[in-house]
Amino acid sequence: MNKQEFLSRLKEKLPANEDTQECLSFYSEMIDDRKEEGMSEEEAVAEIGTVESVLSQILSEIPLSKLVKETVKPKRSLKAWEIVLLILTSPVWISLLIAAFVIVISVYIVIWSLLISLWAIEVGFALGVVYLAVYVVVFITQGRMLQSAAYFGASIAFVGISILMFFVCKKASKGTLVLSKKIAEGIKLIFIRKRVAQ
Amino acid sequence: MDIQLKRGLLDVCVLAAIKDKESYGYQIIKDIKPYTEMSESTLYTILKRLENAQMLTVRTEEYGGRLRKYYRITQSGMKRIEEFKEDWKEILSIYKFVTKEDNENE
Repeated sequence: MNKQEFLSRLKEKLPANEDTQECLSFYSEMIDDRKEEGMSEEEAVAEIGTVESVLSQILSEIPLSKLVKETVKPKRSLKAWEIVLLILTSPVWISLLIAAFVIVISVYIVIWSLLISLWAIEVGFALGVVYLAVYVVVFITQGRMLQSAAYFGASIAFVGISILMFFVCKKASKGTLVLSKKIAEGIKLIFIRKRVAQ
Repeated sequence: MDIQLKRGLLDVCVLAAIKDKESYGYQIIKDIKPYTEMSESTLYTILKRLENAQMLTVRTEEYGGRLRKYYRITQSGMKRIEEFKEDWKEILSIYKFVTKEDNENE
C-alpha cells in the first residue's frame, strides 16, 4: 500500500471532526520521515501498521458518548425522501432503540438488585444479633436463665453468620463493580469494532 | 504490564524525549526505541493528551518542502518528569521490600 492509499483509507474511517486533518498530517509526516531515511514508501507504510490497528488506537481514546454521537450522525445531509422514510418508520426504529436501551438498563438493575438483596440479608442478620442480645438481657433480669442461654447461643450463631455474610457481600460488591465496568467497556468495544470494520 | 501503569510511564517517556531540545514524531520514536517499543498510533494519542494537558507545545515548521511538527516541553511537563522521579523512588523502595525474601533465600 502506498502513502496516498493509506491516508485516504484512514480518512474514510476516521470520525469527521476537527482532529481528522491533524491526524492525517501526523501519519503523513511519519511516512515522509521514514522515506527520507532510505525506506521505500511501501516499507514505510508497512511499519506504521495496518489502517485498522491505527484506527482502533485512535477510537479507544475517544469517550463513548462522543463516539456514539459521531456514529449516529450521518456523514452527509439526508435527502428529502430519506427523511420521509425515517419519519414513517419511526414507530419501528424508535421502539427498537428504546428496547435496546431498556435491556441494557435492566441488566444493570438485575445485577445491582442482587447485590442490594445480599446486603439486606447481611443487615437482617446484624439486626437479629441486636434483637437477640436485648432478649438475653431481658430474660436475665426476669431470672429465666435457660431461655437467656438459648438466645445467647442463637445470637452467637447470628454473629458468625453475619461476619461470613459481610465478606461474601464485600466480594460481591467488588465483583459487581468490575462487571458493570466490563459491560460499559464491552458496549464501547462494539462501537469501535463497528467503526473499524466499516 | 498493567495498561493504566504503562500508559502513565509512556507519557513520561515522551516528555523525556523532548526534555533537552524540541523534537519531532519520528525522532521521538527512534530515541525511545532502544528502551521500549512504541507504535506511531500510541505516540499520536500520547502527544495529543500531553498537548491537551499543556505539558508540551506544538509548532509547525517547513522542512524539505513539507511541514513537520515540532514538540517542545513546557514548565508543567518538566514538573511531571520531576514528579515521576519522586514517585519512582517510592516505588523502588516498595520493590525492594517486595523482593526482599527472594533475595534472602538465594
